[in-house]
Amino acid sequence: MVHALREAHRVLRTGGIVVDLRPAAKHRRVGLGKGSGWRLAGVMRESFDKDRAADRAVSQVVRADLFRRGATVEFPVDREMDTIGDFLGWLKDFGGRRPMSSHVWLIDRLQRKLVTKDASIVVRGTLKLQVLYKAE
Amino acid sequence: MAIVIDPQERELRALGRVARWKRRRVLEIGCGDGRLTLRLASLGARVSALDPDPAHLRKARASLTLRAAQCITYRVGQAERLPYRAREFDIVVFAWSL
Repeated sequence: MVHALREAHRVLRTGGIVVDLRPAAKHRRVGLGKGSGWRLAGVMRESFDKDRAADRAVSQVVRADLFRRGATVEFPVDREMDTIGDFLGWLKDFGGRRPMSSHVWLIDRLQRKLVTKDASIVVRGTLKLQVLYKAE
Repeated sequence: MAIVIDPQERELRALGRVARWKRRRVLEIGCGDGRLTLRLASLGARVSALDPDPAHLRKARASLTLRAAQCITYRVGQAERLPYRAREFDIVVFAWSL
């Protein structure tokens, strides 16, 4: 991660910025229904080790005077899925990006709820966007 | 199969607030299937998008419109060894890749 940030520093012009966009270290909530009709089905159990490692890498390049910290914002982002198959596909992809425990319990719960309610599956997460200014 | 990511476009609004993107040279590291790349291009950026997985880039290229193709280029590569010259970009975006 530090190597990647050093490379970013190399390819940035003077006054350039890095935008670090990634999921915040907060557990995703999965529910049924869109907008105000959304109802919680379960909270995912993810590991945040990779997030902490990325935070450490950012701190390291700031300490090395390669970058200065700029604004940090967090905002909610929904993922709307039509079917349980869509959710399984997303879960597989997401699990490949960050370690997490089994979510069989959540899949079972969603399947039970979908028997009585025809609704979209919506995953609610938080994204973190951090700006770093190139220091010369 | 249908997955709609960020239907409220909060990500786009947040990006628009933190930087000026119009006509900026932007490197996106970890572009995946190009979802964010298209959003960056819609903000007016000229985007070079990089990903280590050729399969992801095939998918990204397949979803390029003629208009987007004029301001987006995709390339296979690693974040730790960027295949670009020094001081080539105004903005580097790590898209879930840090």
